Amino acid sequence: MVEVHEMTKRYGPFTAVNRISFSIRTGEVVGFIGPNGAGKTSTMRVLTGFLPATEGRVLVAGHDVFEEPNLVKSKVGYLPETPPLYTELTVGRYLNFAAEIRGVSRRNRLARVGEVMEQVGLSGWEDRILGSLSKGYRQRVGIAQALVHDPEVLILDEPTSGLDPVQTQGVRTLIENLAGDRTIVLSTHILGEVEALCSRVILIDQGNIVVDGSLDSVREAAGKQHYRLRVESSSGPFSDLGVIAADVGELSTIRRVEPHGDGSLRVESEGENPCHELTRLAVDKGWHVLELREHRPTLEEAFLNLVGKEL
Amino acid sequence: MFAIFRKELRVYFVSPLAYAFLVVFLFLAGLFFYMGIALTGEASLRVMMGNMAVSLIFLLPMLTMRHFAEEQKRGTFELLMTSPISLLGLIVGKWLASVALCTIMLAGTLLFPAILAYYGNPDWGTIWMTYLGLWLCCGAFCAAGLFSSALTDDAVAGGMAGVLLLLPFWLLGSVESFGGETMSAFFERLALLPHLRSFSQGVLDTADLAYFAGFIAIFLFLTYRKLESRRWR
Repeated sequence: MVEVHEMTKRYGPFTAVNRISFSIRTGEVVGFIGPNGAGKTSTMRVLTGFLPATEGRVLVAGHDVFEEPNLVKSKVGYLPETPPLYTELTVGRYLNFAAEIRGVSRRNRLARVGEVMEQVGLSGWEDRILGSLSKGYRQRVGIAQALVHDPEVLILDEPTSGLDPVQTQGVRTLIENLAGDRTIVLSTHILGEVEALCSRVILIDQGNIVVDGSLDSVREAAGKQHYRLRVESSSGPFSDLGVIAADVGELSTIRRVEPHGDGSLRVESEGENPCHELTRLAVDKGWHVLELREHRPTLEEAFLNLVGKEL
Repeated sequence: MFAIFRKELRVYFVSPLAYAFLVVFLFLAGLFFYMGIALTGEASLRVMMGNMAVSLIFLLPMLTMRHFAEEQKRGTFELLMTSPISLLGLIVGKWLASVALCTIMLAGTLLFPAILAYYGNPDWGTIWMTYLGLWLCCGAFCAAGLFSSALTDDAVAGGMAGVLLLLPFWLLGSVESFGGETMSAFFERLALLPHLRSFSQGVLDTADLAYFAGFIAIFLFLTYRKLESRRWR
């Protein structure tokens, strides 16, 4: 559905996107993530035909963005970072205009506008002036605008930025409902969002793709999965965790043990889940198990490792 | 193009701008009409037209200033440019909407010839030619205003640039005393008011028609190039 081949985008001497390649299948929900200024918005603008790529080939919905821009544009719905609203128009008039310039025929226009308004939860808001809407509702209108011509590909640039938690949840649910046979590309720097919505992640940093794959593959690339064990004796916490660590280290399934800062042990196993053996050891030694859990690196940790700086 | 045209007209009339503009324009027109009658005692719109053309230099850029500047600022330019419409259609649509508003505005001044007809015996051919001249003048100024609006993403700066852009075309008419004969003839050709003169005398000169058509075409083309180049930076 989307194919990007060796695409480069330069602004004067500044390279925003550096020879990136990826392809997205129909129906996938892909999250673009990366620090601010990583090249997310530039990539999306090229995909929508707003900006031409400096080099490389970009195919969307089977058409070259540069050679057949209008064919691509009629199949792509795009929500820029700030919803592009004419604040003096009403919701209904605005969506009608959006449908018209997107090429929805006059006959279907009214029905389509009604449909998308229902889809994004704006029924009954036709006559509200856009300028008077709250940010969450503006965002909904923005999404409605991107959907009005029933596009095959939906490109959303930071769809939840600046919204309060309730509004954020609303927009996320909306996006979840839109997925299915539609291909969705969204960018964000909120990692929980990717976790909630996307089946695949493309992590961009300084114009390069760092990771492209499932969420698990990102975690894997970022750091090892391990276990946390926190025990104490019947009389209270152990003063010397080193002794305990040595005992644990003798188990055959354990590869590495080291005391963690907070008084627990960080345990890496040879592959299989060591919880069973760890509990048995604790019972044999008469330890009280306070905590035993599998620790998967959070996406945040994964990104910090991969990007090497604050997101 | 017609979607843009309708949208722009709607935006004009839901904002106070169009009304404020109409009021100022009609007030000035009335003033110049009165002055024309009082000064010359002729049943014509000759004086009114010259003065209106000059005041439009200052007024029309205020009308067109928000067109591209605001689209740029509000991010709606992205909406337009990611829709399957042509850039040329967008520019012409906006231009036509401005010209349509000017047409409404000029229609509002039809009261003056009606007054002339009631009290005197005006030459209708000359009056309609005067209107044609003013109308072409509006079209030309709108095109220049659109161009200046495309230069910036600040509406006020766009309006000021429009005035600055148009002023020389007025002032050039007054530099005849400078430079040699060829230079002053050249400036005379370039200046705006001399081209309006024939209209107010009831003469339709193809050279003047071509002047205004060229003026419009050049500025719409420059707008196109300006917006097109923006994408490549």
